Amino acid sequence: MKPILTIEALKKYYGKSKNQTKALNGISFQVMPGEFLGIMGSSGSGKSTLLNCIAAVIRPDGGTVTMNGRQIQTMKGAALADYRGKEIGYLFQNFELLDNLTGRENILLPLSLHGVPEKESQRRLAQLASYLEINDVLDKFPAQMSGGQKQRVAAARALILKPGIILADEPTGALDSKNAKALMEKLAGLNEEQRATILMVTHDSNAASYCRRILFIQDGVLFHELRRNLPDESQQEFYARILSVMAQLGGGSANVL
Amino acid sequence: MFFNLISRNSKRSRKENGLFFGSLLISIIAFYIILSLSGQDVMRFLARMESDAVNRLLSMIPAFYGMTLFILFFLIYYASKFQLERRRHEFGVYLMLGMRRGKLFLLLLAEDFHSSIAALLVGLPLAVLLSELISLVTARLVGLGIIGHRFTFSPTAALLTAGGFLLIKFVAFLILSSRISRQEIGSLLTEMPEGVKRQRPACFYALAVLAGLLLLGTAYAMAISGLSWSDLARMGLTLLLGLAGTLALFWGLRFPVTLAVRAAKNDRQLHVFNLRQIQETVVRRSGTLAVCSLLILAALCCFGAGVAISRFYGNSEQHVLDYTFQAEEGIEIVSASPEEDAGAADISPMKNDTGTTTISPRGDGTGAAVVRRILAEHQLEDRFSHLFEMRTGYIRTTEDYDHAFRMDPVFSALEAAPASEERDTLLNNLGYATYPHLIALGGYNQLLDAAGLPPLQLADDEAAVYIDRSFTSSGQIALLNDILASRPEVRLDEDSRFLTGKVQTVDLVTDSSITLSFALILPDAAFEAYTEGHWDVYLNGVLAKDETEQASLMSAISEMNQALDQTGLSYESYLQNMGRQLFYMVASSYITLYLAIIFLIIANTVIGVQFLISQQKSNRRYRTLTRLGAAYPTLCRSARAQINWYFGIPVAVAACSSLFGIRALLTGILSARAKSSLSEMMVLSVAMILALCVIESIYITMVKRSSDRYLLTLMVPEREE
Repeated sequence: MKPILTIEALKKYYGKSKNQTKALNGISFQVMPGEFLGIMGSSGSGKSTLLNCIAAVIRPDGGTVTMNGRQIQTMKGAALADYRGKEIGYLFQNFELLDNLTGRENILLPLSLHGVPEKESQRRLAQLASYLEINDVLDKFPAQMSGGQKQRVAAARALILKPGIILADEPTGALDSKNAKALMEKLAGLNEEQRATILMVTHDSNAASYCRRILFIQDGVLFHELRRNLPDESQQEFYARILSVMAQLGGGSANVL
Repeated sequence: MFFNLISRNSKRSRKENGLFFGSLLISIIAFYIILSLSGQDVMRFLARMESDAVNRLLSMIPAFYGMTLFILFFLIYYASKFQLERRRHEFGVYLMLGMRRGKLFLLLLAEDFHSSIAALLVGLPLAVLLSELISLVTARLVGLGIIGHRFTFSPTAALLTAGGFLLIKFVAFLILSSRISRQEIGSLLTEMPEGVKRQRPACFYALAVLAGLLLLGTAYAMAISGLSWSDLARMGLTLLLGLAGTLALFWGLRFPVTLAVRAAKNDRQLHVFNLRQIQETVVRRSGTLAVCSLLILAALCCFGAGVAISRFYGNSEQHVLDYTFQAEEGIEIVSASPEEDAGAADISPMKNDTGTTTISPRGDGTGAAVVRRILAEHQLEDRFSHLFEMRTGYIRTTEDYDHAFRMDPVFSALEAAPASEERDTLLNNLGYATYPHLIALGGYNQLLDAAGLPPLQLADDEAAVYIDRSFTSSGQIALLNDILASRPEVRLDEDSRFLTGKVQTVDLVTDSSITLSFALILPDAAFEAYTEGHWDVYLNGVLAKDETEQASLMSAISEMNQALDQTGLSYESYLQNMGRQLFYMVASSYITLYLAIIFLIIANTVIGVQFLISQQKSNRRYRTLTRLGAAYPTLCRSARAQINWYFGIPVAVAACSSLFGIRALLTGILSARAKSSLSEMMVLSVAMILALCVIESIYITMVKRSSDRYLLTLMVPEREE
């Protein structure tokens, strides 16, 4: 099976010579179709930079990002915008719904950006709305929705154009535990039932325990990898393993290596 | 360090908000131009000719200055408010770092002063330059080569400009900074979301649109019919209706926008987003947009009406004569005693006890001969190509003033003509023509000759009708000409006489010593018989061609005036006539253009600044769109579409209203004779509105560029944790 996303020796440096910060210092990994991959790391470890490089929001200083066999560094202008809109779906920590648009208009926004006829997506919208249980908020404005509803509307927006991969940036960061659990169950469900590929950056060990595989980043390099042993390992056991790695992470690489 | 911060901050403000800085410059220029008006070439020239009127105009300048200060205060207050609002977070950080509120106040005050001084340093020289340019251009346009341009820098105007500008800046700053510095640090640091406005059922808004249109319609109907101009209360009611109508219309606008959002297809690129953005601004700022629209309307009306009026005064007179010497009441050769009893004087000039020489007023033309002689003595006669007597008088053969002249066939013909405003006016006006002035044919034909027109041929029993142009319109003349073509028989002191030829309208004298609402031109013999030898004589002169060819007409007349002043002759010259026209032209165009520009600047700056600020407040939305795959050109297109709508709505409403507004204004302020050319002036006004639309588009382009620049800064991802 071919990987959907290949990251090779990815580098991103901020600042100049003496004060240089190596946000990403040669990271390489692959994401297979239908995979639910988590990326964990402490603040400043380079998680967001990695996600931004994959989303083509920032340009890496070295290495390559290959999505479905195409190097995104070679894309320009309209192709790049198309890539951002169609090949990836982005789920933000703060939902980033436009507050002056209704739920439906927010979900259909990518269509208007990428010139996709509305008719084609009506069925997809109905499907997503019923799966994510947001039918009754479609005509409401974000200010009239709860946090959980907002994030599920945002998820529907990320999924409406059937992207190859969903990039989730701390999706549970602004949710209470109940809503966070509900969202993670929906994402895990999408991954299992529809084989949606999800790459999630998170701080939250609980949210991470829904993933199949977790990469730990520290100081811009890959530091550890955890795989959930399915079907033997329960989510609870996997969560315990994640917590132990997190405890080691707190002390830096010297504690482990 | 503190001073560095001040200079850096104010430089940044100037860069970030160029539009605001630009309007500061324009207000400085506006202040200076109005204050230095008395130094303009045209004004200095007019002050010699029409000193009373000019002085009255100049005495109004302080009032204009005060009004300008007042209006521009709101502009500056508004723009500064946004400027400070944008920096709330920064002020919060200063306070968190331990800066005392007093020091923050000082910092802001110093920044404000810094940017004001910068604006003055750039603005004042620009203002002086522009004022000179206006002076030169107007002088050139009206052909005032004679005066010679003089560079004028008015220190008082500059001081008052700087003083007024700093004053309004300071007052606006005091109010704003006291508000900011009273706030909690916490509320400064967090971005304050704009409160959600309460929504009412859609039918409210639909009703508001209808009511707004109805109120506006009523207001314009009242103004155009002339009803509003009858008294102050009605005018107040009209203005109130117009104001309420515009406010209601803008308040209700969200209804059509909501309909548009519902009908919109989601697959048109960012169409729904754009409409929602517009809806939001219309909802939140309907009041401000309505006021801006009214300001643009005021500007358009001022501009259109001003240009129309000045053009009317500029074009109204056909110029034939350069000089008229008054010979009928005696000429004062040596001015000493104006109370001289002219009637007692002899035919020939003679010195009396007071040293004043007077000439007979008996109306037999002798006075004119003396004028000719004096002119000849000063070698001035040769400089005229035409010099002839114009004789006018009364019917002296009867004292029945009510029936001396009857033209029943003319009235019957008029009554038979199809009903029209012109017919009714003529019927009314001619009803008073029972004792007309008489004009001698000989002098009038010489006048026609000077005007390059064919002479009038009258048989012994014929007469021609003369009506001064200021008492009639082209429509009335056409109607009367039709009737005269049938050679109606009239009665002049019971003698039968036939009216013939076309209505004559060439001015009898240079300026204003005589204007006749209705007169008869009679063959010289008949004239002399009816006047029984008593008539007034006006000696008219036209300067020789080579005189006017060497220099401009203005300078030729000016030079001749100097020579004539030496002779002691009393005369009126075309310069006075021209001076009056010029004054109306200059006064109306200066004032209306000035107001129009001020109103335009304010409205456009407020709309522009408001758009840019609301764009900055919704920066998260644009960032999200980028994340969703919107490319920079897409965002720019979206913002540009919003700008078009945002400017377009108030400008379109104003432009529609102005078509009615200018008409109403012309109805109210133009004299009866000007109304006849109303349609011509409307065309002119429409042209002016188009020109102003061009100015609008320049403003819109500026805001679009500014928006593009801002959007580009959003393309760089922001680090968020």
